[in-house]
Amino acid sequence: MSKAIRERSIMSSFDMNKKSVMVAYGIMLVALLALAVTLLYPFGMTLFGSLKSKQEIFVFPPTYFPRHLEWGNYALGFKYVNLTRAFLNTLLLYAGNAFFALLIPGLAAFSLSQMKVPWRKTATLFFMSTLLIPSATYLIPNFLNLQSLGMLNSYWAFWLPAGANAFNILLLKSFMDGINKELFEAARIDGASELRCFFRMALPLSLPVFSTLLIFTFTATWNDWYWPSLVLSVKEKYPISSLVYYDIVTATMLTWNVKFSVLTAIMVPPLVFFIIFQKNIMHGLNLSGVKG
Amino acid sequence: MVARLASQSTVARKGEAGGRLSRTFRDYFWGVAFLIPAFAVFGLFLWTPIVKGIVYSFYNIDFVNGNRFVGLTNYTEALASSDMGIAVRNTLYYMFLGVLMGFWVPSVVAIAISELRRFQGIMRLVVYLPNIVPAVALYAMWMWLYDPLGPLNQLLSWFGIGGVDWLTNKHWATFSIVLAETWQGFGATALIYLAGIVGIPKDLYEAAETDGAGVFRRIRHITLPGIRHLYLLLFIMQMIATSQGFQTQVALTGGGPNNATLTYMYQIINQAFTLLNYGRASALGVMMFVVLTLLSAVLYRLQGRSPQA
Repeated sequence: MSKAIRERSIMSSFDMNKKSVMVAYGIMLVALLALAVTLLYPFGMTLFGSLKSKQEIFVFPPTYFPRHLEWGNYALGFKYVNLTRAFLNTLLLYAGNAFFALLIPGLAAFSLSQMKVPWRKTATLFFMSTLLIPSATYLIPNFLNLQSLGMLNSYWAFWLPAGANAFNILLLKSFMDGINKELFEAARIDGASELRCFFRMALPLSLPVFSTLLIFTFTATWNDWYWPSLVLSVKEKYPISSLVYYDIVTATMLTWNVKFSVLTAIMVPPLVFFIIFQKNIMHGLNLSGVKG
Repeated sequence: MVARLASQSTVARKGEAGGRLSRTFRDYFWGVAFLIPAFAVFGLFLWTPIVKGIVYSFYNIDFVNGNRFVGLTNYTEALASSDMGIAVRNTLYYMFLGVLMGFWVPSVVAIAISELRRFQGIMRLVVYLPNIVPAVALYAMWMWLYDPLGPLNQLLSWFGIGGVDWLTNKHWATFSIVLAETWQGFGATALIYLAGIVGIPKDLYEAAETDGAGVFRRIRHITLPGIRHLYLLLFIMQMIATSQGFQTQVALTGGGPNNATLTYMYQIINQAFTLLNYGRASALGVMMFVVLTLLSAVLYRLQGRSPQA
């Protein structure tokens, strides 16, 4: 009985005895299963499509599983795009983005949360009101601004603006507000500098939020394809998403089995990343959901 | 002697004032120092473009001959152009379909997942899966799924329905884009609802059940009110996101067929990067900002007025 109480959600075990509820629950399970199939089907299609021969990919009606495994598609696909270079570019972009998107908002959040600051409200407003301004509305002036700063075609055009992230300040500040102020007072009396307070205390204590933001930054960097293709003018500097979009997805002379092989290859790293950090990601989603 | 005393006291007062000043300075120094990098990047990369956008909207931007002040011309020309009507209509239709097809899905899925006794973790992972892989891979998948001879038309033919020109028929193109985006994005939203649902105290259900409330009444009177604040928040977020949608349109249809998926934001991109009419593009951006701000102000007002929000 106690176990049943612990396990209950909207329905209790008792509800299951009713026929109408059981039928509805059964329908729900079937619907969820169908949903899962719908979600997984395109991924299987991409993976299996990447192993089909050129003849088989054009068969109508299309088949799902390949008859023979054509591993050669991968070798062929990798010839069209320099995935290694694009991958390294992406990593480099990510490293800089993560550094600035965590350090600058981290320092600001610590200052607003735990330190003496004049005009705290005005400063907070200066940061937070940018959340209300949709980024797309200043997309064009942003581009022109980077142009006049001479930052086009350079990774600095991504790294430095990554620090101007009000959402990160919001999350970090609300977390740091929860840390007891006396902890830092004690450290200051013991002679710890503010930098030491930040790097040795606030940062380790806020590790859950920092790791969540690291993950968000990774997803954003890995996914972004349009903006990099505007800002960077040479393909040698493109991150993986932009390069794959322009050289594979929109390529007209490539057959789909080869396209699928490259797509499968670029889906693997984020999947691995996700599986490793699954717990933190789910935690992060809850965090951002509650805070809005 | 008197003069000396007086000068001494001024010195003393000066020293005191200087001490207070330097103490304030010392008190605030690190706090301000920690804010300076943030002030610099926010100023340089957010506020400068925002202000510049407003200024540019009154200018004819010309990199060669220099900018020329043109007053409201950018605005009047933008409003008078034939693209404007098309873009606004397309964007509203796209936002409407997004609500109709996509808004209710995540919460329903979240309630269903919350009722799973087993495999709940796996189901969470599966619905979130499209959010993990790069968007460009998903675009390619949908191009293949929407191929006239592709899997979706094959599925329809099993039910005896003739093929649909998903992306090349102007009546279907927006629908196809919304379908793809819903598939791609509902998982993340569902997990936000799920977090809200899990947070509802279980004894409320226990009490309701003891009082004889059936499962559906419990959902209606406990679960849905429990996640009500999320509905409004996520509705605003969806409105703000879809009103600026253009990337899927760029990738899947290129604004076509026959401008059927040319959204407002896509029009801005076209003005700026195809026609190099940066002034007009900035004016369009400013107008969009005004409309979106008014929209969210109205929605927040409504939220403030409604009880228990």
